[in-house]
Amino acid sequence: MKDIATIVFRLTLTCLVAGLIMGGCFIVTNKAKQHNQQVNEQKVMLSLLGYSAAKPAPASLALHPVYRYLVSEKEVQALGYLVPVAGGAPDAFAFVTLDLDGKFLHRFDLQLAPEKVEQAKERQQAVQVAVGPGKSIKYADQTIIVTDNGKRQAYLLPGEFQGFKTFVKVMLAIDPGFTVLGLEIMEHEEDPGLGGEIVQDYFKQQFRGKPYEALKKLGVVKQPLPDEYRTALEAGKSGSLGPEEVARIQAQYQDHDIYALTGATISSRAVTNGVKTIVKKFAYRIGFLDQVLAEQQIVVPF
Amino acid sequence: MATDKSNLQLVISGILNENPIFRLVLSMCPAVGISTTVMNGFMLGVAVLFVQVFSSCTISLIKNWIHPRIRIPTYTLTIATWVTVIDLVLAAYLPEAYAKMGIFVKLIVAFAIITMRLEMFACKESLTHSFWDGVGMGLGFMAGMMAIGLVRELLGLGTILGYDVLGFRPLLFFILPTAGFFCVGLMMGFFNYIETRYKRAKQG
Repeated sequence: MKDIATIVFRLTLTCLVAGLIMGGCFIVTNKAKQHNQQVNEQKVMLSLLGYSAAKPAPASLALHPVYRYLVSEKEVQALGYLVPVAGGAPDAFAFVTLDLDGKFLHRFDLQLAPEKVEQAKERQQAVQVAVGPGKSIKYADQTIIVTDNGKRQAYLLPGEFQGFKTFVKVMLAIDPGFTVLGLEIMEHEEDPGLGGEIVQDYFKQQFRGKPYEALKKLGVVKQPLPDEYRTALEAGKSGSLGPEEVARIQAQYQDHDIYALTGATISSRAVTNGVKTIVKKFAYRIGFLDQVLAEQQIVVPF
Repeated sequence: MATDKSNLQLVISGILNENPIFRLVLSMCPAVGISTTVMNGFMLGVAVLFVQVFSSCTISLIKNWIHPRIRIPTYTLTIATWVTVIDLVLAAYLPEAYAKMGIFVKLIVAFAIITMRLEMFACKESLTHSFWDGVGMGLGFMAGMMAIGLVRELLGLGTILGYDVLGFRPLLFFILPTAGFFCVGLMMGFFNYIETRYKRAKQG
């Protein structure tokens, strides 16, 4: 009996100490981690749009985030978009709800400081207050609309889908005609050396320049990647080919299916289908959103 | 009960005559699963080295307060704590290295080699000896992983450390998990063969 008591006591103590060390470490490192993630995301966004340290983005370039929420009231489901309102104060936002057929339901105006919009919790609270009680809102995803001097340049779509092992988080850039500008893998846990190769240029760059029409019926082929195509895909890194040559080869394979990674067909297929789904759903939704914004004469900066 | 080996001997024995992979045959899962390239082997080796050293030192420090009946849970907790700490620190301050190593670091909690070293060595020995034993075991594990990685990368992808040396891919089979068993088995046999030859030559 005495033995049991000591065992319980010591084990509890060990757990507590271990918990304290881990918790303390988490608190100390979490801030740095989140900061890193944000910096990295910004960098990825700009690099997908073709800007780098050597070629900085012009000052006229602006990124406008649009947040999508699911709004449910009793049994009725609706979609809500949080969009910035142009022409007024920088903290003016509108929360526009659409029913599932894309018809306009309501417009709620709210004030929210731009830096607070980026905080998921504060944004959620502000939206909840705006729509009033009795409705539950659930964050779905965000889209970043890129404008240059007020003209739409591109959409940045952060997304997530099931890979071979766990979820794969990606960032996609598409132009206003839904042609893919670039794909970046943000987070994944695929097998190193096999599915993990999805982060390599020779795989992810295959998506670049795929027009929407080709993307809609894009598949995966289990064929070896042609050598000349591979060099063109990796040109950004090695720089062995001139830009014209790369563009010529890319154009040649523009409508071709994605070449699967050797030994990782499932991961290749997962990424291809994931990208396809993200772009298709977005193209469908943005059409309705634009229509509603125009009908209701909500002035947005994009 | 203290060991009669010097610090240097402890390190060398961890690398050679008590090599975790080829002699103790422990932690075979990572040896088979992850050793597809030299770089992977090296990364996992570094992570194991740190966890082994930290855990060995911790256990050696608190060895007098561990109740004999709850040794293993205590070891597991210690290892899990250090793995979590290393994981968090890497993710926060070295995001580039973490992008490559992150997936391996979490696996270490379940490595037999670390628990075994705590049970066999650190819970009986002094702090200094435990530290050097941890270093030796970590380096031995790293060397073993890199050796397997070298063979598999060369035969599977035709490259070493990502550089193309053969110019073609001999057998993709070697980077698939199954081939890990063949590789480890054949290399173990090879090293045993060398050892027997060496001993015989020494005898006469």
